Amino acid sequence: MPATTAELIQTIVFYGLALVALLSAFVVVTSRRVLRSAVALAVTLVTSAGFYVLLSYDFIAGIQILVYVGGIVILIVYAVMLTSSLELLEDHPSPKRQALGIVGALAFLVVTLSALLLTVFPDRTATAPPDNLAVEIGRRLLDTGAGGFVLPFEIISLLLLSAVIGAIVIARSYRKPDSDESSTEAAS
Amino acid sequence: MSLVPGIYHWLALSTLLFSIGVYGVLTRKNAVGVLMSVELMLNSAAFNFLVFNRYSSPALLEGALMVIFIVAVAAAEAVVAMAIFVAMYRSRKTIDVTQVNEMKG
Repeated sequence: MPATTAELIQTIVFYGLALVALLSAFVVVTSRRVLRSAVALAVTLVTSAGFYVLLSYDFIAGIQILVYVGGIVILIVYAVMLTSSLELLEDHPSPKRQALGIVGALAFLVVTLSALLLTVFPDRTATAPPDNLAVEIGRRLLDTGAGGFVLPFEIISLLLLSAVIGAIVIARSYRKPDSDESSTEAAS
Repeated sequence: MSLVPGIYHWLALSTLLFSIGVYGVLTRKNAVGVLMSVELMLNSAAFNFLVFNRYSSPALLEGALMVIFIVAVAAAEAVVAMAIFVAMYRSRKTIDVTQVNEMKG
């Protein structure tokens, strides 16, 4: 049983958020309307941010909301609209496909859960994460010494740049000089 | 085992989220649906990093930094995936992944 009031609150919040996260994740993979899946994905990611707060990583929770919910989900909604899957009702997966999916997911679940139950983890929760989390993370990201993350940081920025340029190159419509109206239409 | 969330509860939760993502990747037909399931899996992997960071070395920040990198890579992945879907839709008017099988041997 939970000993203190703080633990009780933490337990209630954990199970409440876990329920919401699992239900919305289930909607993401089973809903026939893709836009509904996108909204459910946003809910799942917000509950993940709640978990991060519960683990006392507030700054990461902020990043999660800003980039994942504010950026990636919006991008996915745009993808749904641009490919006109909006009014499209996806068929239910065929029984064979569904069985394959259930077997794959259950196999992963069983293997990982049994590995989890057979492992003994050290519990060092007595030490709390640093108070000024954002400051510490910024210092580590720009640290050029041993254990610093400045090289991955720069590589990530290059990766983002190349991803954006690549996305523009892939998604733009190529208009040949002697093209007809159809390609001009596609470009607009 | 007590009900108070410990490392086992957190890891079990992220495993469940990941397997739901696996199910989605295997059953979804719409490419955007597959992308959303992949995002679900990425998110639960990032979640794992943070749980391990919190429970095994709270004074360090390696897990938190890794989550930042995962979020950045997920953003890059979503951008490229959206561009591919738009190009695919323009050239063949569908993004059903079962219909796109020219490279099948």
